[in-house]
Amino acid sequence: MAQGVCVITEFREGTFRRVSFEIASEGRKLADELGEPLLAVALGEGVEEVASDLGGYGVEKVYVVDDASLKDYRAETCVPVVAEILQNISPKVVLTTASVDGKDFSARLAARLGAGLATDCTELKIEGGGLKAKRPMYAGKAFAWCEWSDGTWPQMASCRPNVMDCLAPDTSKKAEVEKAEVALPAGNLTQVVSIEKDAGGKLDLTEAEVIVSGGRGMKGPENFAMLEELAGILGGTVGASRSAVDSGWRPHADQVGQTGKVVTPNLYVACGISGAIQHLAGMSSSKYIVAVNKDPEAPIFSKADYGIVEDLFQFLPVFIEEVKTLKSTC
Amino acid sequence: MQPGYFPANILFILIFVAANGFFVFTAYKLYRILRLGKPEDRFDRTSERIKSVVTFVLGQRRVIREPAGWGHFFIFWGFVIISIGSLETFGVGIYHGFAYWKFLGKGLSSLLYLLQDLFCAAVVVALCVALYRRFVVKPERLRYEDQKAANQDACIIIGLIFLLVVLLFGARAAEYLLAQGEAGRYFPRLAFVSVAFSSLFAGLTKEGLQAWYSFCWWGHTVVILGFLIYIPFSKHLHLLGAIPNVFFRRLSSVGELSKMDLEDETAETYGVSKIEEFSWKQLLDLYACTECGRCSDNCPATLTGKPLSPKLTIHHLKEHLQAKGKMLLAQQGEAEAATANPEGELAKVLIGDICQHDELWSCTTCGNCIENCPVFIEHIDKYVDMRRYLVLMESNFSPEVQNVMRNWETNSNPWGLGFATRGDWAQGLSVKTLAEDSQVEYLYYVGCAGSFDERAKKISSALVTLLNEAGVSFGILGAEEKCCGETARRLGNEYLFQSMATELVEIINSYGVKKIITACPHGYNCLKNEYPQFGAHWEVYHHSEFLATLLEEGQLQAQQGMDKNLVFHDSCYLGRYNDLYEEPRTVLNSILGLKFSEMDRSRNKAFCCGAGGGRMWMEETLGDQKINDARTGQALKLEPDIIGVCCPFCTTMFEDGLKTCDMDEKVKVYDIAEILAQTVKSEKEQGGQ
Repeated sequence: MAQGVCVITEFREGTFRRVSFEIASEGRKLADELGEPLLAVALGEGVEEVASDLGGYGVEKVYVVDDASLKDYRAETCVPVVAEILQNISPKVVLTTASVDGKDFSARLAARLGAGLATDCTELKIEGGGLKAKRPMYAGKAFAWCEWSDGTWPQMASCRPNVMDCLAPDTSKKAEVEKAEVALPAGNLTQVVSIEKDAGGKLDLTEAEVIVSGGRGMKGPENFAMLEELAGILGGTVGASRSAVDSGWRPHADQVGQTGKVVTPNLYVACGISGAIQHLAGMSSSKYIVAVNKDPEAPIFSKADYGIVEDLFQFLPVFIEEVKTLKSTC
Repeated sequence: MQPGYFPANILFILIFVAANGFFVFTAYKLYRILRLGKPEDRFDRTSERIKSVVTFVLGQRRVIREPAGWGHFFIFWGFVIISIGSLETFGVGIYHGFAYWKFLGKGLSSLLYLLQDLFCAAVVVALCVALYRRFVVKPERLRYEDQKAANQDACIIIGLIFLLVVLLFGARAAEYLLAQGEAGRYFPRLAFVSVAFSSLFAGLTKEGLQAWYSFCWWGHTVVILGFLIYIPFSKHLHLLGAIPNVFFRRLSSVGELSKMDLEDETAETYGVSKIEEFSWKQLLDLYACTECGRCSDNCPATLTGKPLSPKLTIHHLKEHLQAKGKMLLAQQGEAEAATANPEGELAKVLIGDICQHDELWSCTTCGNCIENCPVFIEHIDKYVDMRRYLVLMESNFSPEVQNVMRNWETNSNPWGLGFATRGDWAQGLSVKTLAEDSQVEYLYYVGCAGSFDERAKKISSALVTLLNEAGVSFGILGAEEKCCGETARRLGNEYLFQSMATELVEIINSYGVKKIITACPHGYNCLKNEYPQFGAHWEVYHHSEFLATLLEEGQLQAQQGMDKNLVFHDSCYLGRYNDLYEEPRTVLNSILGLKFSEMDRSRNKAFCCGAGGGRMWMEETLGDQKINDARTGQALKLEPDIIGVCCPFCTTMFEDGLKTCDMDEKVKVYDIAEILAQTVKSEKEQGGQ
């Protein structure tokens, strides 16, 4: 009999990716509604040492496979291992991530388990003893609620990063860690030769919750220090418009827009960006948009929730100080 | 051996038949290679095709667009006239008494001889010019990957023609002297170059002259037959390829890409990934190329250092076709041959080995290559056909392209903005949708930029002002409007394009629309030239031609002058694709005081803004300059106050270009509709005051 909720974590370079905590937190909520335990599967090299930390997010038991061959995500090794573990513990609900790797992984795992998979979900709930998942369609213009046929287990959902709430971890709680006894596939079809990272190892724009972006109004690369500072305080990262990138002030990886990254943070602060449509196409589905521009006619204001018509060199220093004060008092 | 006497005539006939036989054999092989291509119907409108040959082959209309082309003109006609003389020479080879004057009469043959003399002399001059250009001037477009081989080929040809002419004059000089005082022989005195040349040999005896004549005659004959054998192996293959290529040229607009049959259940692959998947006409293009380099000379990608040169594309394809074609004809199973000879041509991949990915994606489809090709080679279709393969078969394209395609699929606009808000731009303007009132004369098809882009919306409302001012009965589709899909097509996503086109045709036809106005040259070209493939036959007008007509008919008048310097930029899809050069200028000319100047590259040579062919939606990271920056620089040289455009893509590209060089405060970019609306509006406002 299927039982429990199981989350499949993502472990990279010695730490769990944030989205793992998000699905654990979401999984906790579902497990409580079902009245069943919350389990987790963690693969990776060196994952055993930190696996118990998942307890802080409500995970009761973690099945770990700690092996050098699982250091990087490869479908041919990760999918069979997780599938075998899940077949052994047979959970009711399986949550995965809809990150870049997770999208690939989830589809393969679902096929292997013969499970129904709702991809890229933004909201989950339990109804009638089963899972119900909400997923955006048509570029977020519509939502679909998915249900599973009665008695088909497990019910699988992959979760969009940065959407679901992440619990504040309760560090006093530790999860029980169990080494899963599974055969490791040889995995000799593919190998990861190297991983090329963007300079600075900063937070990927598409995963950031807060983005502070600068455009041509920043007047020069040196002024982006202000934005870096603001992003640092807000726990976000820095983006840029195409003209700032074209001027060579920022690397192309920072570019937000039609031909750059399409981002959906909770907060997008556009500084000195006029808001050409090419830029709007990349950020207009952000939850809250704040625009700082001295030109009241700038098209960015048509998309902004909060518009500040002011010279950004006047506004930003004051604003940064205010945020600092606020942060220190709470 | 005196020509025309036994046994020299037998020897001549043997050599003649052998050379011609060999030529026919090689030509037949080339023909069979051509037939490896896919079928394509280019046999319609015969009279028009014959007219093309007269204009563009005999008249060399496109060749002489450039000064250097006059050299070609004389070499070409010299060659034709020498060939007429050669027939006489060959006649003499069979029977010594053969001569034109016996059939044509002395008067006519005198003229013919004079003409031959003049053209042969012109050829010598033209050859010297050709050598001077190649070795002293060294223009960029005569640069090749293997410069030595190319120069060698050119020298052989130039040398052979030179020899041909010199030997012809030599033989003629002897003929003239021999004809003096000998009954039954005649040489027209009118051929004064030959006559003048003869003074060199005046001291020779009759036997000496006879020997000199024989030498020149044989030399001339051998060279001309040698030429015949050499041609198919050199770039002078164009002597064979160019004439049929002009005959079979595209008579419809260059703006019409072929419609793929997506319903064909026997199709195993879409697009082109092997040379033999091109049509026979596309392969004939390769034979026709002389590598003159006019395409690359005008290609915005080449000129900004991108890894694309249309000349080299065609050159590489030609080499590949000839090598692979022969092997295919060897009737071996393709796979077998590839494994037997892995280094061989059969093992080469068209997209990857012969053409590079960056090469295909660098094309802006501006049409400069096609427009400037003297022999009507169609480059763009080849790039698009290969893109079609990459997109439809391999989903192999850059991530930005994936993003824009998804946006078209979900929201029918490239930015992925909500489709329901498409008509919002017209709120507050006096515009009706067809749903509100379909009894209007014109549909104004706004397009994506005009509907969603804040900048382009201003152009839309300016046009609405003008149309209302002129009392034109029109409406829009509003939220019902869809993207025309032209860019998806040029990016190779024919499947997406066809579904978009079918949908839009259905919507427009449901209102019984007959006439359409657009403000975007891309939508204009697509609706006008490509939608007939989907059963839509509307009268489509670009706003530049529509406004020009309104002005000419007096329905609209620019009442205010404008004291500004303006430089006008021709849009590729308007000018080269649809021959609308005058209309936007008519609109600008109607405004008093507006001084406008032309860039060096204007009209049919206009330089692309860089946004066509889907490049608008891609990052431009290759090359040493961005195309829009290059074009903006060309415009700024004329120190304008305004850059006049008539395309929303061009508007964006110039505005970005001006921002890059910090000139956006000083120079403004306006669509011609905006400029005209300013002059009309201010009058109205004044009247209201």
